[in-house]
Amino acid sequence: MNALAASLRAVCGALALAVGALAQPPQDPKPPAPKATDAPQGQDPKKAGLATPLPPVPPMAVQNPFLPFDRATFEAACRALGATEAQLGRFGAEAADVGLARAADDLMRAVSPALAAACKRRDDGDPEAAVALAQALADAKAPALRAHARYHLARLFVDGDEPELAIRTLNDYFAHDLNVSPLDGEAAFFYAQALDDVPMPEHALPRFQAFLQWFPDASERFRAAAQQRIGELARQQESRLHELADGMQRTTRDLRKQRTGKPTQLDQEGYLEELNQLIEEFEQRESQSSGAPSGNQPSANPANQSQLPEGDGSVGELNKRPSLADRWGDMKDVDREKIAAKLQKGLPPQYQKMLEEYYKKLGKGGARK
Amino acid sequence: MLRFLQERVNKSTKDFDARPEAERATARTESDTLAGKQARVQDLMRRLAAKLGNESAPEDGR
Repeated sequence: MNALAASLRAVCGALALAVGALAQPPQDPKPPAPKATDAPQGQDPKKAGLATPLPPVPPMAVQNPFLPFDRATFEAACRALGATEAQLGRFGAEAADVGLARAADDLMRAVSPALAAACKRRDDGDPEAAVALAQALADAKAPALRAHARYHLARLFVDGDEPELAIRTLNDYFAHDLNVSPLDGEAAFFYAQALDDVPMPEHALPRFQAFLQWFPDASERFRAAAQQRIGELARQQESRLHELADGMQRTTRDLRKQRTGKPTQLDQEGYLEELNQLIEEFEQRESQSSGAPSGNQPSANPANQSQLPEGDGSVGELNKRPSLADRWGDMKDVDREKIAAKLQKGLPPQYQKMLEEYYKKLGKGGARK
Repeated sequence: MLRFLQERVNKSTKDFDARPEAERATARTESDTLAGKQARVQDLMRRLAAKLGNESAPEDGR
């Protein structure tokens, strides 16, 4: 195994083991044994070399931690939050049409104006949405309302290309908000997707599989997406080229956030070394293959060196819609300061820290979607 | 070609990082372009991996 892939796997393994006990789903009877590729705790000399610290991922529950949705309890919780019989009636009718998860979320927004307003901000691409959602989460006393607020905060991070923050938020969801809302299935799906986005394919694959197994009634949109990624990730397993591409994907995200320092440069040098090694191995295999080539003949006039077509090599802007980072950048200083002030008061320290990180990255060009 | 492209991105990254902090902070378009170049190498690598994977798959199945 090459050095880059080995170090990435080592980090994933060590982090999963280290944080596993902290965020372990309650019904998990025993954590799975570490894989042969996992590094023992505390033996990770290359961890510091990674440009992006990988987020902690608890070991996956072997036993399904999700209970069947308890509709009566959920409706009672909504009544306690002030839901009217008419709203509950609409929930029943909507559930048949759009599914329980969407209907429950609509009901929760109806009973919580703060959550509804925060979600609207997010849907409108308002940079203040993260603060509003964190505030709704901090103020939520009822477990079901807290679950919805936390889910939406995690979705904001997923949609904003901040999968590490989404993973941290969903770790909290699984530790504190499980089995109180029909959003559990979507939370499980987006957890797998966030892992895939980092990318941490060895963690994403089993979680997509668990999602399909544990949520047979989830929206077909999510099930089809999970099925597709399972096929792709399974084909990519054990492929050094795909591992190399995974590393480059991480570096792309680092560069987008202007993380151009030594750790990123070391990662990039690692890709060159890996490419050199692959080319060398390929040439060795070619020279060892017996018999003269029976097909195409070598070119009579081969190129002396690799050449690229003219151009700047950039991919170009495919999505013309202003990104969250653009909107953040276009805001007046006074408005940005207002958001910063809101961050400093009223939010619990853990959200404050997370959002400070989020807005710092936003200022450096993150959260592009 | 992949090697050459990666070399070029590495150099651009170093050049960008060598610029003063204040200058970098306002150069979002350039860091986006840089990320775009790395994304292009990643995309080519992914395609190559998929192509080689597809070519070897039928042989594995025999």
